[in-house]
Amino acid sequence: MSNWHRLASASDVLEGEAFSADLAGTPIALYRLDGQIHAIDDVCTHQYGVLSDGFVEGGTIECPLHAAQFDIATGRCLSGPATEDLRTYQVRLDGDDVYVLAPDR
Amino acid sequence: MFLRNFWYVAASDQEVCRQPFRRLILGEPVVLFRTEDGTPVAFEDRCAHRHLPLSMGTLVGDTLQCRYHGLRYDKTGACVRIPGQDMIPVSARVRAYPVVERYHWVWIWTGDPALADHDAITDYHWLDDPNWGAKTQYLHVKANWQLIVDNLLDLTHLAFVHETTIGNSALVEHATVKVERARSNVIVTRWIVDRPAPPTFVKVGKFTGNVDRWQIIDFVPPAFLRLDVGATPTGTGAPEGRRAGGISMRNLNAITPETETTSHYFWGQAHDFDIRNSRTTDTIVEQIRTAFLEDVAVFEAQQANLELMPNRPQTDINADTGVIQARRILDRLSREEQAMPAAGPEAAPGVAAE
Repeated sequence: MSNWHRLASASDVLEGEAFSADLAGTPIALYRLDGQIHAIDDVCTHQYGVLSDGFVEGGTIECPLHAAQFDIATGRCLSGPATEDLRTYQVRLDGDDVYVLAPDR
Repeated sequence: MFLRNFWYVAASDQEVCRQPFRRLILGEPVVLFRTEDGTPVAFEDRCAHRHLPLSMGTLVGDTLQCRYHGLRYDKTGACVRIPGQDMIPVSARVRAYPVVERYHWVWIWTGDPALADHDAITDYHWLDDPNWGAKTQYLHVKANWQLIVDNLLDLTHLAFVHETTIGNSALVEHATVKVERARSNVIVTRWIVDRPAPPTFVKVGKFTGNVDRWQIIDFVPPAFLRLDVGATPTGTGAPEGRRAGGISMRNLNAITPETETTSHYFWGQAHDFDIRNSRTTDTIVEQIRTAFLEDVAVFEAQQANLELMPNRPQTDINADTGVIQARRILDRLSREEQAMPAAGPEAAPGVAAE
């Protein structure tokens, strides 16, 4: 059974900006970097700041609350006060539709 | 914490006249008056002789005469007369602060005088512009200046503090918010689309149905918050840039620290509709003043708790993004100012020239 969810049009996801979406109940965000779309958790692993309200700098997203930084492509936590990485999700483009794979429960 | 190398509002133009008056600005006592040709002057409010506030004295022409022993100071702060003697010691002078009158406010620079640049005065032109109706106000607040800055950057509080005037629940439940930042600037843009108008807007804008409402908050340090606010009937294109009908205003705030625990809150409201109708101006200002008095009660209660229980941890919520980005800028500016070498001898009063 397919766990791919259509979450956006390709044109919704602008270069250097976050697009927040709901992946089967999990808040995630889509980012376009150098033409490629990435999907990562949208809730900061520190104190639940909304990362898509934060600041995209190069390939990183900075949490608006306490400035923790995460690598968008890998979800890796690059600086405190967060210590846990974000989960990443597979993204597939089908024409103008952006699909994200929800992980098995 | 004070940031000194900035222009601050010292007083409204009406307050500064031929009667000297005293105000504490960034912890320093200042006396303000005008010379006979109307030029505003600001000195350290302390006679170089025996420390009496010069604001207790009288103007003799363009000189301010101390009430105690009659020493007279000219507009540069130099003593030019000591009754009973001809020679005036070089140390008989008080610090004179650069002041500029602009936008119906008198601005003062309390930092290194060599750095005072008139072009750095924040733009509040709406307060003195024929295309706007406007009026200014003053509130004294028994709270630290940063609490007031915080308040103006997070407008979700309107729904809870100002329900009878400018707030309603749509402001917190149905707003889209975007925070942009630059090195020394934060802009928070809030839109509430197709929701009821709050009571003040109904009163002043005569709205009968839902509106599209915007609140665009521009923060520049240290404590200048210029808000572009208003609403149009819903569906007329405001979010796309078309402000057709409806009302548009500027809520203009300039906070000047008095001490670490008290502040001078200068503010004004400008409107671009019905601009020559002073009753409209008065109604709007009265509504906003009602709201701001509610804020003052909040600030003073926060301050009281902060003094009883300093350094308690605080929790940040998602609505705090703009507030936090502004505080980060202010913290950085404070570190930079503290790292600067101290100002040169000209800034220290009473030092004899070699």
